[in-house]
Amino acid sequence: MNKTKHALFSYSFIFPSALLTLVLGIYPIAWAFRYMFYDYKGFGTARFTGLANFSRILKDTQFWDSVVNTFVYAGGKLLITIPLALLLAAILNRGLRGRQLLRGIFFMPTVISTAVMAVVFFTIFNSYNGILNQFLIRSGLSDSGVDWLGPKYAMLTVILVAAWGAVGNYMLLFLAGLQNIPEDVYEASSLDGAGKIQQFRYITLPMLGPVMQMVIMLAIITALKGYESIMVLTEGGPVGKTEVMFLYLYKLFFPVGGGSAAVQVQEFGYGSAVAFVSAVIVGMISLIYFYASRRMNQTD
Amino acid sequence: MMKRTLMTSLSLVLALGLAACGNGNSGGNATEGKGDGAKAGSGEKTKISYWTGDRHDADFVKEKVAEFNASNKDGIEVELVVKGDDFDTALDLSFQTSDAPDVIRVKENTVQTFYKKGFLAPIDEFLNDELKAKFPAMPDLNEFDGKRYSLPNYGTTMRLVYNKDLFAKAGIEHPPTTLQELVDTAKKLTAAGKADGAYGFALNFKSPGSAFARSARVVAEMSGYGGFGYDFKTARYDFSGFEPIINAFKQIKDDGSMLPGVESLDIDPLRAQFAEGKIGMYMSYSSEPGVYKNQFPAKIDWAAAPVPTIDGNVKGASGFLGGQWLALSSKTEHKEAAWKFMEFMYGDQVLTDYQEKGFGISMVPSISAAAKTPDVNGIEGFLPNKNDGVWPVYPSVAPEGMKSDDAFFKYMLNGGDLKAIIADLNKRYNAALDSVIANDGVKAEPDAGFDPAALGGKFAK
Repeated sequence: MNKTKHALFSYSFIFPSALLTLVLGIYPIAWAFRYMFYDYKGFGTARFTGLANFSRILKDTQFWDSVVNTFVYAGGKLLITIPLALLLAAILNRGLRGRQLLRGIFFMPTVISTAVMAVVFFTIFNSYNGILNQFLIRSGLSDSGVDWLGPKYAMLTVILVAAWGAVGNYMLLFLAGLQNIPEDVYEASSLDGAGKIQQFRYITLPMLGPVMQMVIMLAIITALKGYESIMVLTEGGPVGKTEVMFLYLYKLFFPVGGGSAAVQVQEFGYGSAVAFVSAVIVGMISLIYFYASRRMNQTD
Repeated sequence: MMKRTLMTSLSLVLALGLAACGNGNSGGNATEGKGDGAKAGSGEKTKISYWTGDRHDADFVKEKVAEFNASNKDGIEVELVVKGDDFDTALDLSFQTSDAPDVIRVKENTVQTFYKKGFLAPIDEFLNDELKAKFPAMPDLNEFDGKRYSLPNYGTTMRLVYNKDLFAKAGIEHPPTTLQELVDTAKKLTAAGKADGAYGFALNFKSPGSAFARSARVVAEMSGYGGFGYDFKTARYDFSGFEPIINAFKQIKDDGSMLPGVESLDIDPLRAQFAEGKIGMYMSYSSEPGVYKNQFPAKIDWAAAPVPTIDGNVKGASGFLGGQWLALSSKTEHKEAAWKFMEFMYGDQVLTDYQEKGFGISMVPSISAAAKTPDVNGIEGFLPNKNDGVWPVYPSVAPEGMKSDDAFFKYMLNGGDLKAIIADLNKRYNAALDSVIANDGVKAEPDAGFDPAALGGKFAK
């Protein structure tokens, strides 16, 4: 096959997905990009307002609170998820009986829809008749239960739920990484007298570097963008305690609540600007991480 | 050979791609019989679609649609589409893909938006004097710029729902009529019920917007203040009427008379708790009796009473929400056929059935005068009285910063200076109001003679 034909052949395969990406991926972004500079409520005429949306963002304490909440949420989720996923992967990588079954069990939460998972957790954590509080009260551990979704513990609760949903996924990626480490390296090290902990510290961790870098990167981006389970569990409440960046953004496009007679005002223009700023924040964090973590790549 | 393979794969992927893209248009309403000319006799049906977001009456409407399909002699076939929470989004999409329904269910909080988006067609050409006399015209609710877009069927009244068993246990004879009584009653009910896990008062504060729209709003309206903070006399936002109301709610919370966990309480879990007897009082819409009949069968004896006012004096009217039901789509190609279906639905038989079976409280005076009280426990408390009235529509705005409901709930939880919070709300809401007046052509004119007390009495004496 000559070169032109080969190229044509390749492009014919790329074309459909490139077209879909263009229509469903690039076009909406360009659309939002344009409306960042407009006052647009979803209908009627869009009014050009220049940088007004951005100066509003600077003053928007609700947005900046949500940014702080996002960092707390993402940080908490990572602190629980990554070590736990690594630990589980390391255990399941050993010749444990029934490990196939255990892998399936740990991976299962990843398959369940986030909204369904959050509904289930709501029945566990809700304060007035949740399973957890009923257990605490009936076993005498607490008099009136704990307000799991109240102002004090809501963030902790949403972090725990998010970690539960994510850990299986990262465990699987770590497992794949672990299985790529040749067995003879371990054999050689044990002949030299290295113990399990030393092996983990000096062989497993460094050789898992590239996988680890990718997993953490993925985890950071996912955690910064996550909001679905929070929406079901608390809707960002109480009083914004669990409102993360992308939930705040979602509500600008699709306002929730408000009761029967309240007319909801969608803010497509301001929402687009907030979306852009949020994307820049996620991008910046990812870049910072990427440069800081290049060391992990050096496996030698 | 290579060329043939290349062409085959190219056509295959293109075909697949097109199939994927075209999918959105293939579903939905079939409009095979173009034009209303397709009549009986030719054997071809005129197909029209009716979209509704209402689920509580879905079976009833389905039955009526089937009745219409079977009985009409014009060869019209109505396809009923019941959408869930995504109704508005689905409708937006349908208008962008020219797959729009012919008849649309409009509600008090969507009709203005749909009108502004150009989704609706006026129905004046079909309204004769008889229909005009039968169905009240309501500016901004079924009438825009002098043209009628819908007609009312049922409306929603608002009441205080209370647990009669718990009231009896606490030795309280009457539901509260002032805010102070509300606070005291909640306290007494909690004292009587706490041992069994029952508390005096609750609201669905998971969404403060929804909670206040069914409570603080109607207390304000009964006391003579615009329920969404808008003052029709001055045409400005002024939330100061809410101060005593929010303080009373805060007091109930601080007293420990509020059900624990209201911060994460949604309306359905609240109803489930009420049905179990764990809540003494809450405020809500007239959809509640249906809920306790079908969804959460109540294990307690309960009733509904007018909501309390700030000081016991009724200076306004309890908002009767509604004024619209079905509307013609601006994109329908079968206007006549769609109207014939609407005419059937707005007939006395369907409307009377609707009220008597308890799906809603009729807003059509001739129907509510003649129809029997629905056979649904508790609904008698929700039937219109002399204090129910339709408020004019307030201009909706998107203020910068926190919405009033969130700000009020934050104060209930964290405390602070309520007067300062209200001053800040007034400032931000009026700035947003000025902006929509200047830029979006919204009209807000003061009406010095506006008398909230005169709103009541139109649906019952």
